[in-house]
Amino acid sequence: MATLSINNVRKQYGSVEVLKGIDLDLTDGEFLVLLGPSGCGKSTLLNMIAGLETISAGEIRIDQRVVNEVHPKDRDIAMVFQSYALYPNMTVARNIGFSLEMRGQSKTERDGAIRRVARLLQIEHLLDRKPAQLSGGQRQRVAMGRALVRDPKVFLFDEPLSNLDAKLRVDMRTEIKKLHQRLGTTVVYVTHDQIEAMTLASRIAIMKEGVVQQFAPPQEVYERPANMYVASFIGSPTMNFVRGTLSAEGDRLGVSVGRERSGFLPLFQAPEQAGHWLGQEVILGIRPEAITCYDPAIAAGNPALVKVACGVNVLEPTGADTITYVELNGHEVVARIKPSDRVAEGETADFMIDMARANLFDPKTEQRI
Amino acid sequence: MSSLTSALPPAQGTGARIARWGLYLILLLFAAYYLLPLLLMITTSFKSPEEIRTGSLLSLPRDFSLDAWSYAWNRACIGADCRGMAPYFLNSIVIVVPAVVISTIFGALNGYALTKWRFRGANIVFGMILFGSFLPSQVILLPMAQTLGALGLAGSAGGLILVHVVYGLAFTTLFFRNYYVSIPDDLVKAATIDGAGFFQIFTKIMLPLSLPILVVTIIWQFTQIWNDFLYGASFAAGGAQPVTVALNNLVNTTTGVKQYNVDMAAAMIAGLPTLVVYVLAGKYFIRGLTAGSVKG
Ligand SMILES: Nc1ncnc2c1ncn2[C@@H]1O[C@H](COP(=O)(O)OP(=O)(O)OP(=O)(O)O)[C@@H](O)[C@H]1O
Ligand SMILES: [Mg+2]
Repeated sequence: MATLSINNVRKQYGSVEVLKGIDLDLTDGEFLVLLGPSGCGKSTLLNMIAGLETISAGEIRIDQRVVNEVHPKDRDIAMVFQSYALYPNMTVARNIGFSLEMRGQSKTERDGAIRRVARLLQIEHLLDRKPAQLSGGQRQRVAMGRALVRDPKVFLFDEPLSNLDAKLRVDMRTEIKKLHQRLGTTVVYVTHDQIEAMTLASRIAIMKEGVVQQFAPPQEVYERPANMYVASFIGSPTMNFVRGTLSAEGDRLGVSVGRERSGFLPLFQAPEQAGHWLGQEVILGIRPEAITCYDPAIAAGNPALVKVACGVNVLEPTGADTITYVELNGHEVVARIKPSDRVAEGETADFMIDMARANLFDPKTEQRI
Repeated sequence: MSSLTSALPPAQGTGARIARWGLYLILLLFAAYYLLPLLLMITTSFKSPEEIRTGSLLSLPRDFSLDAWSYAWNRACIGADCRGMAPYFLNSIVIVVPAVVISTIFGALNGYALTKWRFRGANIVFGMILFGSFLPSQVILLPMAQTLGALGLAGSAGGLILVHVVYGLAFTTLFFRNYYVSIPDDLVKAATIDGAGFFQIFTKIMLPLSLPILVVTIIWQFTQIWNDFLYGASFAAGGAQPVTVALNNLVNTTTGVKQYNVDMAAAMIAGLPTLVVYVLAGKYFIRGLTAGSVKG
């Protein structure tokens, strides 16, 4: 268990800057997920923490110790690779025990540790097999075992589940979560799967082109995205972005969408700076589940709910919800509707928008207001 | 359904069938073309000089005799030295075994360093090594002679070993490098984190995965070096000459009647080790040449 701090870390390949000053601080036992599109530098950062890549500038500390120049084997970390990287010529047992073998531990010491880890991961019956004789899920477990056996201060995972089929991925995800709860070791976990990020992380760092866009707990990232990039990266279907003008009606600030007067959507708790934006163009961000069918009973009890009449364009039932494309004053937006509330395509119906969950963005910088 | 013994689609119609048989006929002719000389050598080596003179070239031996073989092995005269091929056969072994082992080990190390420890300029180094494998062997004769002279290795088995190692390195490096690029880098990263160093990763992970390419390289190097005549004739003096040079000298030693059966037996003796290696390890050779990546 340990803290991990990354201070203004940069990585350059020749003249190309791949990481442009990363700052992240983890407390003991945290589960950090690095989330971002392909090529944004997640693996590079992870490899730098592991010591497999040199650090061009900045500082990485594990438990207050600067590890920039420390050899990977002495950093007290363990890594699980996307390809698992199991040694094909060795049995499962030897794969798991290899790091102990390299440390010069005796066979009996090693066997004890291997057995303990194998029991934890329920792979005791596989110990004598070679990696080629294992299924994908079993290989994944062995790769985890190889990391666990070292009892490291920090676990590093590089997309460990992306080679598994959908069902197994969900199972292993839960298992990793349980394992983390049980061991309480600090984890850095790379993925480009937003569900993995949301379910596992204690904090998510969303990266884009070598820059951290937001570093916050999952719920905060979801509810209060720092910019439009983060907002659209997380959540499915993605957040609706509607252009409008910040205006006032009486003493209430709101966003006017379209030309009609009915297009005024009052903000429930306007952000402090919103006053400066009066009369200017802003982008209103609304999650699909914040748009629901109008229900007078619910609307009466919640002043944040704003009633709007919308034409229904397309319905996409997914089982749990029906994704509904509706026309909001000339802007098409996506709503997540309960199947029991569904409205026929082509009709106009009343919807309500939960403005307490609305986000405002600057159209030029795309940053949150 | 046709049985799937051929990768080609089954022949349909008479025209296609005739074409198929024509193909087999051509293949047979080619096989005969290559096998006939071997057959001729073997049958001739078992005949007596009498029979060679009177009988037909292609007939099988009437009185099967091993005399020519034993004569070629330890009594035939090579120049003035009448101890047969045996001492030269031994010379070849003394040269070939270390040369093969050393060039293979260094080729593997080079390939490993070039692919898994990519240093600055690794591609240029590889390009130069690749260039080495296109060099005609005659080109290095003079500089090598000077080098061996300067090292005091001229005319010795040690010198010849050095020549073969240096010349073979281009090929062995190429083989191993191309094989190792298909082994995932993650293995090396994982082993580095696990605490293994450069040589530990090489011996505990890379080498155990290298069997197919090891076999290819050993066969390749063995046949190249065993069959070498040019360097043997150029750099080895008298008693240190390899078996190929001895064979040449034996055939060219003119004492009375030409003993074709002895010549053939000697040629067979000189060629046998490579044949044996192919027969024993040939299938690994094919497998190794086509071996793809190592799946974890
Ligand atoms: N050795 C290298 N030399 C030059 N550029 C590199 C090198 N390694 C990585 N890069 C570049 O650095 C960037 C980040 O790569 P990285 O592997 O960290 O991406 P990633 O976020 O892990 O993507 P993915 O999700 O596809 O794994 C990429 O644009 C890549 O092309
Ligand atoms: Mg990656």
